[in-house]
Amino acid sequence: MQNSGTQKAGLMRSIAFGAVLMTVGMEIPAFAQGGIPEGFKKGELAAPPSAEMIEAGKRVYFTKCVWCHGVDGAGDGPGADRLWPRPRNFNQGTFKIRHTASGELPLFDAKKPVRGQNDLFDTVTHGLPGSAMPPWEGILTEEQRLQVLAFVTTQLVKDRSFTDKQSETQTILNVAELKPKPPTEESLKRGAELIVEKKCIECHGLEGRGDGNAFNLKDDWGFSIQPANWHKCWNFRGSRQDPYNVVNIFRTFSTGINGTPMPSFADNTTIDERWDIANFVNSLCERDADGKPLPIDPLTDKPKIDFVIPSNLVEGEIPADIEAEAWKNAPRRYVAMGGQITHKPRNFVNRIDDIWVRSLYNDKSIAYLLEWDDRTKSVAEGKLPWAPTEVNIDIPEQEPATGEEGSIAAKQNNYPVYNDAIAIETPVKWKELPAPIKPRYLFGTNEQFPVDIVKWEADGSIRAFKGTGWDKDFEERDNYEEHLKVLKSEWKNGRWYVMIERPLGNKKDQDYDEDTFFEVGQYIPTVFFAWDGHNGDAGRKMAVSAFYYTFMNPPIPQETYIYPVVIAVGVVFLEGWVLTRRANKKKGKTL
Amino acid sequence: MKALMSIGALVGVVGLLLLAGMIFDIIPSNTIRLVEGYMPMQMLFEVGCYVLGFTGLSYMLNAMGMGIPRFWQGIGFWIFFLLYIKYRIYPPIPFSVRAMYGTVGLVAVLMWVSSNEEDWKKFKQPILNVLDAQTGFNKVLRYVYLIALPILTWGFSYNAMMPKSEEPIELRTVHPAPPASTKVHGKTYVLQTSLNPYRVNPEGKYDQEYTNSLIVEQGMGRLMKPNANPWDEKAEGYLKYVREGGEIFFQNCHFCHGDNLNGRGLHAFAFNPIPANFTDPGTIAQLQETFIFWRVAKGGIGLPNEGFPWASVMPPWEQHLTVDEIWKVILFEYWHTGYYPRTWD
Repeated sequence: MQNSGTQKAGLMRSIAFGAVLMTVGMEIPAFAQGGIPEGFKKGELAAPPSAEMIEAGKRVYFTKCVWCHGVDGAGDGPGADRLWPRPRNFNQGTFKIRHTASGELPLFDAKKPVRGQNDLFDTVTHGLPGSAMPPWEGILTEEQRLQVLAFVTTQLVKDRSFTDKQSETQTILNVAELKPKPPTEESLKRGAELIVEKKCIECHGLEGRGDGNAFNLKDDWGFSIQPANWHKCWNFRGSRQDPYNVVNIFRTFSTGINGTPMPSFADNTTIDERWDIANFVNSLCERDADGKPLPIDPLTDKPKIDFVIPSNLVEGEIPADIEAEAWKNAPRRYVAMGGQITHKPRNFVNRIDDIWVRSLYNDKSIAYLLEWDDRTKSVAEGKLPWAPTEVNIDIPEQEPATGEEGSIAAKQNNYPVYNDAIAIETPVKWKELPAPIKPRYLFGTNEQFPVDIVKWEADGSIRAFKGTGWDKDFEERDNYEEHLKVLKSEWKNGRWYVMIERPLGNKKDQDYDEDTFFEVGQYIPTVFFAWDGHNGDAGRKMAVSAFYYTFMNPPIPQETYIYPVVIAVGVVFLEGWVLTRRANKKKGKTL
Repeated sequence: MKALMSIGALVGVVGLLLLAGMIFDIIPSNTIRLVEGYMPMQMLFEVGCYVLGFTGLSYMLNAMGMGIPRFWQGIGFWIFFLLYIKYRIYPPIPFSVRAMYGTVGLVAVLMWVSSNEEDWKKFKQPILNVLDAQTGFNKVLRYVYLIALPILTWGFSYNAMMPKSEEPIELRTVHPAPPASTKVHGKTYVLQTSLNPYRVNPEGKYDQEYTNSLIVEQGMGRLMKPNANPWDEKAEGYLKYVREGGEIFFQNCHFCHGDNLNGRGLHAFAFNPIPANFTDPGTIAQLQETFIFWRVAKGGIGLPNEGFPWASVMPPWEQHLTVDEIWKVILFEYWHTGYYPRTWD
């Protein structure tokens, strides 16, 4: 008995061992099973679209697409040279966002407009955020979108064929059957380790802000290309208008991005590892104070904008430490930045597309904490050839049509490097302006409506200017600069942290003709400007925000606590009165 | 009658399910798109359908002996209306506007329940019942109200009095009155009499009718007319200039006004208000070509005071484009949106 018992146990053990072997064994051949990476399955090329569809698609193409993608689909339409990333050159059949293995053509079936099963259709439907490609859903019908793709895939993709089963294979990432792994702490921790192990950080940077190898990467056409910034998931090309969905990251990581240095990691990671990495990357995307995804504006596919920047009151000195409790509690605002494309030199490609702003104030001054992602720290070498007050400086604007050689995309690495910089602009006499009038955005309107500009540059300087018009040189406010303080300025892993303190100003002892008076409880129009030195930004070549409002939160007045109580007591009396009246009336009736 | 009503009931139930789906974000609220520019009409139509559906529903419930009292019908319909304008309308409308609609809706409901003496009595009855508190349940309810009302009032007024920072509302004139004439690149253009020199037929003669016949087709997609491709090498006159205008548009304007001229360009998200949507029937379709010429040439900085110059980053395009280029861009904008410019007569 005992013997057989041991035998049994031995058998059990060997079965268990076998099972372990099996699972391990199952995992190993999965890598090499017929050359299919884990998580993928064999697919078939779709049937070619009909001639009518192609003809109908041509009409769509020449109404909507030709302007950027060009007559022959070579990505060289009239709009191409002022864009970066450049519009796709279809000729080579190289497409970025796919469910297919690295190097393969994307999924396209002219008869199957199903999300997740038709890559090109998804791209046209949802657009490619962070580029000029808009979502065409709601503009073109589903049929029109399929038609134009039928035209593009058969007539403009020239080097490859979507129908040739001899030369093309389809190995499809089987996302539908792969369950996302929940983003547990353990999974995130493993993801954080894996991005180091798999060398993701070499390009994407230590904090994933895309600053690792920002200026040596090129795409298949020789244009400079920058690694994605994981903190701005709404700019992921493959985000499909669903930026916080981890599946998008899993897909991109599994299939790679054709035509770019981003490889597929399908062959050297397990599915489990890929989910860990995807979870971790997803966790880095900006979130609100409660850790929830930022609400995305469906009209722009960017985070929703709150145009009021609240400033909290602090007792005593404003802390210079970002980790200080007061800064942590200060609400953070997303300030969207667009290129300055109103006056020459226009900045068609602004690399800084948002700033995170917080603010605190005390009885004497107000401080802004500005954080923005910039892949490079740029400080001009030597002296700049113009004075800090000069506005009309000699910076060339991008020519409209130059051919690829002279395009913005081709020039990315070759700009002269100027200072990174940031400026806060406020109208001077904002209280005295006639109701509708605010000084213009760009450096004020005229002597009557000037603006107060505080500008910090990466060479460490902080200056105060008076602006009286977009083409008028600034006037320097010499003695004012003594009152300005840079509490912090640091560039770390692809992000600038700059904290600027300025006096609140008041009518008595400040020169009210030049300085803005920051009054508690009032909406003070505020504009932000940003310059990226490696983008050749200087003067008016910069990124601009819309008008925001600085609002210094007033201390809560006593009335706030008293009046509601009074009102509530009033309601109690009212109730008593109604009840008595009703009771009397009824009595009257019954009597 | 019964069959008709049951169809109505079906419509009502389906409609309610759709709305519920939108509230819980199962069905995206843009499943059935609101047609741009026709939103109020479409909304009224939809609400009308709902009302018919509810009539059917209420009839059927009554027939089955499960009728809903008038009091709850009134309240239910008002709640429905509030939810409808909050969750159905896409893009969402601001709270202040919803509050206005909601008040109008409440008045409408009150008018409906008080349309005759008997209905009004029926409507009031549940309120009076609670006040009188004849039954145990009503007694409990009355005390709940007595306690809850002051507390809620306190809460709301406290909330309302708490200092808040909400973006101040600033109104502006969308189409400010144009001047009589405008001077661009040294030449004066009288808005009443100037013509777009590129609105010409292949023979080079100004021809409104010819050019209007070649604009894109209205309807989904707004595609070009077959055999009217501006990219055709043989295109002459108008179509050729449309292409040239499009080239200028996609080198200068699309950054804000978007690839589809709908004001959703690359930089649009950063601006407030977002750039003009030319596909909306309220913009260029309402205006004369010369008005556009003046706006394009002078930009935001050239707006008169009632246009509030500060809210526009529209460049004064005379700084970047020649007069000819401006006219061509305008030509392209009308072609691409499928609208005719308004004429002076």
